[in-house]
Amino acid sequence: MAVGAPVALPAGRALGWLVGTDHKRTAARTAVVSLGFFLLSGVLALVMRAELAQPGLQFVSDHSYDELFTMHGSGMIYLFLTPAALALGLYLVPLQIGAADAALPRLSLWGFWTYLCGGLAMYGGFLTADGAGRDSWNASIPLASSTNTPGVGMDLWVIGVALAVAGSLAIAVSILVTIVRRRAPGMTMLRLPVFTWAMLATTFMVVASFPVLVVAMGLLLAERHLGGVFTGATGSIAYQHLFWFYGHPVVYVMFFPFVGAVAEVVATFSRKRFFGYRALVVSLLLFTALSMAVWGHHMFITAAVQNQYFSLTSHLLAVPAGIEYFDLIATMIGGAILLRTPMLFALGFILQFLIGGLTGIVVASPPLDYHVNGSFFIVAHFHYTLFAGSLFGLLAGVHYWFPKATGAMLREGLGKLSFWLLAIGANVTFFPMFFLGFDGMPRRVPDYAPRLGDLNLLSSIGAGVIALGVLVFLANVVVSLRRREPAGKDPWGAQTLEWWTSSPPPRHNFESLPAIRSYAPLLDLREAAEAWPAPEEAAAKEGAAA
Amino acid sequence: MARAGGSGSEGRGGGVKGGSVPLLAWAGLQVLLGAMLAIWSGGMPSLLLIGGAMPLVVLAAWNQGRAAPAETRLLPGESMPVAVLAIGIATAAVGLTAGLWLVLVGAEIAAFGAVWLAREMVLERRWLK
Repeated sequence: MAVGAPVALPAGRALGWLVGTDHKRTAARTAVVSLGFFLLSGVLALVMRAELAQPGLQFVSDHSYDELFTMHGSGMIYLFLTPAALALGLYLVPLQIGAADAALPRLSLWGFWTYLCGGLAMYGGFLTADGAGRDSWNASIPLASSTNTPGVGMDLWVIGVALAVAGSLAIAVSILVTIVRRRAPGMTMLRLPVFTWAMLATTFMVVASFPVLVVAMGLLLAERHLGGVFTGATGSIAYQHLFWFYGHPVVYVMFFPFVGAVAEVVATFSRKRFFGYRALVVSLLLFTALSMAVWGHHMFITAAVQNQYFSLTSHLLAVPAGIEYFDLIATMIGGAILLRTPMLFALGFILQFLIGGLTGIVVASPPLDYHVNGSFFIVAHFHYTLFAGSLFGLLAGVHYWFPKATGAMLREGLGKLSFWLLAIGANVTFFPMFFLGFDGMPRRVPDYAPRLGDLNLLSSIGAGVIALGVLVFLANVVVSLRRREPAGKDPWGAQTLEWWTSSPPPRHNFESLPAIRSYAPLLDLREAAEAWPAPEEAAAKEGAAA
Repeated sequence: MARAGGSGSEGRGGGVKGGSVPLLAWAGLQVLLGAMLAIWSGGMPSLLLIGGAMPLVVLAAWNQGRAAPAETRLLPGESMPVAVLAIGIATAAVGLTAGLWLVLVGAEIAAFGAVWLAREMVLERRWLK
């Protein structure tokens, strides 16, 4: 059954990579740019860890350190993980639902360019006299006022964040409308692949929360130039409400797409249908709805929010999270598990995110949060969720879908080497930070008490191992693209529609589509072929048995 | 530029229907959580929650009962004016700190991009006919 009958018109190819509206190109551009920002922000982290390796100031000034942690955090959140998650969705969702293209392709193209301009504006602050933004990724008032943080660099940060977030919002809207409006015949909502459901839930959060941050950044800029917007204690609290209304859901925006990716990987490499599909769908909706109602736990110490309410909603998150973990583990139980690189990264995600999730329960409890707030415990917690969790989920997805996007297989040996380096590096870097936090080391400072030196040194060594792991991953990409091992349509024996088409897919994705009767149509076909083999196959099997 | 057919043969008008239920379910959950917070403590935070659900309610209402378009859909192969528009808006935004001159330059680029985009879309429609 054909999805559509695309007719190509003459189109210039030179600018295709810059302004092409094909969802795959827009997604690839966004992914490549986000990788660039990841590397930039990663280098900043290495400089920070070099500074923190020993007590006393070694490499950078206090002022520069403020810029480093601000641009590292901002870069990773606004310019890397969020756009990378959306890029994965923009590439895969139309393919998974059998669509010829994404809806609103111009909007997603606009989103890419706006995001790129935002990123350049943020990093452009380094070229100004006062340096780049230096008020952390959340830029609290009154710290971010023009009195306390003067300079064009901070203005550029505010403008850049607004642009980058607006760009991400545009890409998310394109994905959302694609899912709602462009599904292939037979692709009902309860036949959407797990990854597409995860992207749908993600876009709900983006549409509901990202506009609030764009408004907050506009108001912050007005406050810096005109004043009178966020005045006094209530102004500061109002800004925090606006920021964290975005700031908490965005954590799940950087997490859910990778839950979806990991779910696909786990099902494929367990050779099983995903367990508990409907329960997962309900848990995704519940999880994302609750995630909009927990921002106040970032403000427990302000005494300006209803702590009981936000503590309750934060703890309730454990219920849908538990359902998702149960489904992932149950999918593996009884499966014929293949430990290929994507599966290793998926298992890394499952195990390491659990540490991030469980320590999240600590910060969801006001009395415990009072103790660890502002300490390295928080740094450890969110790096376990975003690095050891989300990045591993992203890499599971990248290793899994790389053959689809490029037509070439990534090298298994290099993939496994990068996995182990990253896994060892992540745990050596971030686990000591829990103890540092409990021992009273505050975050966002370039110097600390000498008694904390050993754990900090260990953490810095771990950061070096992470850098090595990233280099091995990049080498793997380069080697695999230069000496190509052709992937074919479906190198993994996967279950969803994107593996029905060629690798890489053509401009309009599909020449034809199989019948869609579940969320795993290719698995349906294989099961049907096993139950009802073609006459010649059946005869061959009987002959072999005889 | 390329044409793509509608996405299917189900539902009135040929396209796949549905998709609004999850939007409404999710928006409903959010409104419920907002109402719970409003009863508990009230104030701006609960308005944020209830207001945040509105874009999805609007999208669900717009989508409800409408089949995906079955007619031939025009897909732009590439769109330079979109990039020009985005760069213009970004330049004008940076002008908010660099000075009025850059705001004006950015606005001019954005206006140029917008007109170019409108022309591109008109030409597409003519080509389709």
